[in-house]
Amino acid sequence: MDLQNLNPSSLKSRFTARFLRALTEINAPKTISSSSPREIFQRYRRIKVAADKSMAYSVRSRRIWSRATLWRLRTRSRSRRLVSFGRRASVKTRTTASHGKENKEHHGAVLGVQAEELRELVPGGEAMDLCNLLDETAHYIKCLTTQVQVMRTIANLYSIE
Amino acid sequence: MDIGEKDKSELENRNENSINYETPVLPSDWQFGGANLTSSGTSVVPCSNPLAIGSSCASASMADSFDSNLWEHPSNSQNLGFCGINVQNGAISSNAMDTGKGTLTSLRGSIDRTFDMGWNAASSALKGRFFLPNTTGILPQSLSQFPVDSTFIEGAVRFSSFNEGSFSDMVSPFGMPESTALYSRGMGLMPGPEDMFAVNGRKSVSGVESQKSKLNVTEATRDACLQVENRAKESPLENERKSESLVRAKQEAKHGIGGSGNESDEAVFSGHDVGQEEPSTFNGTGGEPSAKGLSLKKRKRGLQDAEVDQAKGGRPPTEAAGDGAENQQKGDQKQTTFINMTAGKQGSPASHPPKEEYIHVRARRGQATNSHSLAERVRREKISERMKFLQDLVPGCSKVTGKAVMLDEIINYVQSLQRQVEFLSMKLAMVNPRLDFNIEGLLAKDLVQSRTCPSSTLGFSPDLSVNYPSLRPSQPGLVQAALPVMGNNDDVIHRSLTSHLTSMIGGLKEPNQLSNAWEDELHNVAQMNYEIGAPSNSLNHTLPLFRRLKYRHTLSPPYIYLAQGSLTVLSVKDQVKTYSVTMWRCGTPFERGNVLVS
Repeated sequence: MDLQNLNPSSLKSRFTARFLRALTEINAPKTISSSSPREIFQRYRRIKVAADKSMAYSVRSRRIWSRATLWRLRTRSRSRRLVSFGRRASVKTRTTASHGKENKEHHGAVLGVQAEELRELVPGGEAMDLCNLLDETAHYIKCLTTQVQVMRTIANLYSIE
Repeated sequence: MDIGEKDKSELENRNENSINYETPVLPSDWQFGGANLTSSGTSVVPCSNPLAIGSSCASASMADSFDSNLWEHPSNSQNLGFCGINVQNGAISSNAMDTGKGTLTSLRGSIDRTFDMGWNAASSALKGRFFLPNTTGILPQSLSQFPVDSTFIEGAVRFSSFNEGSFSDMVSPFGMPESTALYSRGMGLMPGPEDMFAVNGRKSVSGVESQKSKLNVTEATRDACLQVENRAKESPLENERKSESLVRAKQEAKHGIGGSGNESDEAVFSGHDVGQEEPSTFNGTGGEPSAKGLSLKKRKRGLQDAEVDQAKGGRPPTEAAGDGAENQQKGDQKQTTFINMTAGKQGSPASHPPKEEYIHVRARRGQATNSHSLAERVRREKISERMKFLQDLVPGCSKVTGKAVMLDEIINYVQSLQRQVEFLSMKLAMVNPRLDFNIEGLLAKDLVQSRTCPSSTLGFSPDLSVNYPSLRPSQPGLVQAALPVMGNNDDVIHRSLTSHLTSMIGGLKEPNQLSNAWEDELHNVAQMNYEIGAPSNSLNHTLPLFRRLKYRHTLSPPYIYLAQGSLTVLSVKDQVKTYSVTMWRCGTPFERGNVLVS
């Protein structure tokens, strides 16, 4: 377990390599003087996207959530404006739908409400039944923890300097 | 007898099988029955034989199994003419079927059988019993069939190995929805008889193989039995009594099902098998003994098999010739046996590669055998299995019971992880990157070290995410606000102070301010400890922590930059939450302690 990272094919090492590459790309054009909040925010978004993307690429297409993430990122990159507009609408519908689902808690599956929430959290979870959703959630949690670990250590390294 | 010994060993192997619905058959009884019946082929002997056999537990079980098997084919009386081969096949099949069952079920089955025998005093039952002696009598005579059947048994044993196995194994081949299960159910039995019809006794192995490939089961043969039962119900050849018993059984099972909560029993379902399922009883009373419940299900299954055989008997009418009918009967019995075997055999260590295409579910004792309810049960068990797995993944969920609460915890955890990612990306955006040093090397070292760190439950207080862009002025406020927040909300148990600390560290340009804030923070923590009257260990832990940090920061402020802490919930006792505080430096913990927060 201790030398897992040295395994070149482990999820962690794959993600680390990709993420570092993306980070260098993002930070390369940056000059030290630019620390305005807006630029910081832009970089934050780019880094977040890079993190998600590198994690999804590390998982390849083996998982539904990784495929959904990649697809989402690709469509977003292609049509940002449309997606931003559509996202607002979809978010609204989602909130209303979630409120509506609270009423039908006692309908059929008791876990309907939480299942819906989980579907929203896990990318690509809308089209999965509960069984597969739980599978995807487990793998997604594992990948998220890996992501957090790597990013935290990178942040620590940065803050040392 | 070779087969007998093999059956015995197999029987013992499957002792702990939970989904054993067939009564085990001991070859000794078998031979015993055969010996008794070789002399007489009339109905007189059968009556005595089952009883005699039933005197002993195992034999009783065997008798019951035989009884049920043959009792299931009450309308096969027309096939009595071919009883020589048919009965033998039935006996062999039932024997093979029974090999996979545990002794416990056999005991229960024996009692059930006796009960069933008493309950169903119809001629059909007698006919079934007629089969028993004939079967056993004929069995030793036709040894030529044994090799075939033994191979058939072996095949079934190997086949039944699919039943066992973790859910993870089953998940990948079963990424399909329930529809395929239903489809398989519908398909599994339909081609089965035809395959058996096409396969003679000599080709029984191949037939079994093909049937196996079609009827592969991962969990149980519930669907198969269910389908059989459904089709049997619709069969025009149904015996009145059979239908009655079947309907009654179903009603009672439904009562039992209704009695037990569906969702609440999820955790129970996966854990318990036959022994603890709801007490739907044979007579509709609540507290039926397990035997009766088992008998209910077994009788149902027996009925199903009988009706299936009837239906199959009616289907190929052109094969009315002797050989054709013989084969048909053979196929029927073999198929029923096969179905039953798949249910029972779960402990065989065969390494047959699973060609799992169908999900066969066997109704547990006292459970409704409605196809929908069975499929639902399978689904529910899958879900509960995965919930358990998730419980291990999500920290702090070992005490949580119930799917709803568990799902809430999972949702919270996923949300916290996602927020953590966001925060860390923000932090990375904020930090001034200097890439001239060897990041990868340091990263490898730190990753190795960090894995040994006990940072298991880390999350973010949602309040902090808003404050990231403006870290500096609000840091003390953040620090002060963090602890009360953590104390109040149960959800915040999973939040950590990492955000506080890292935010303090990452953006701070004035060491004094940071160190002061840090000191204040630790003061608060220590005070809380004093107030609460924490146990001595935690106090001892925290005080040194505080002292050491204070010492450090006075000496070398830069160290504070690196300090990063994580709080892990150790325990929650009487609303006093114990957090373990781990102070890290460069990814390695150099301070550890416990903090009590009430």
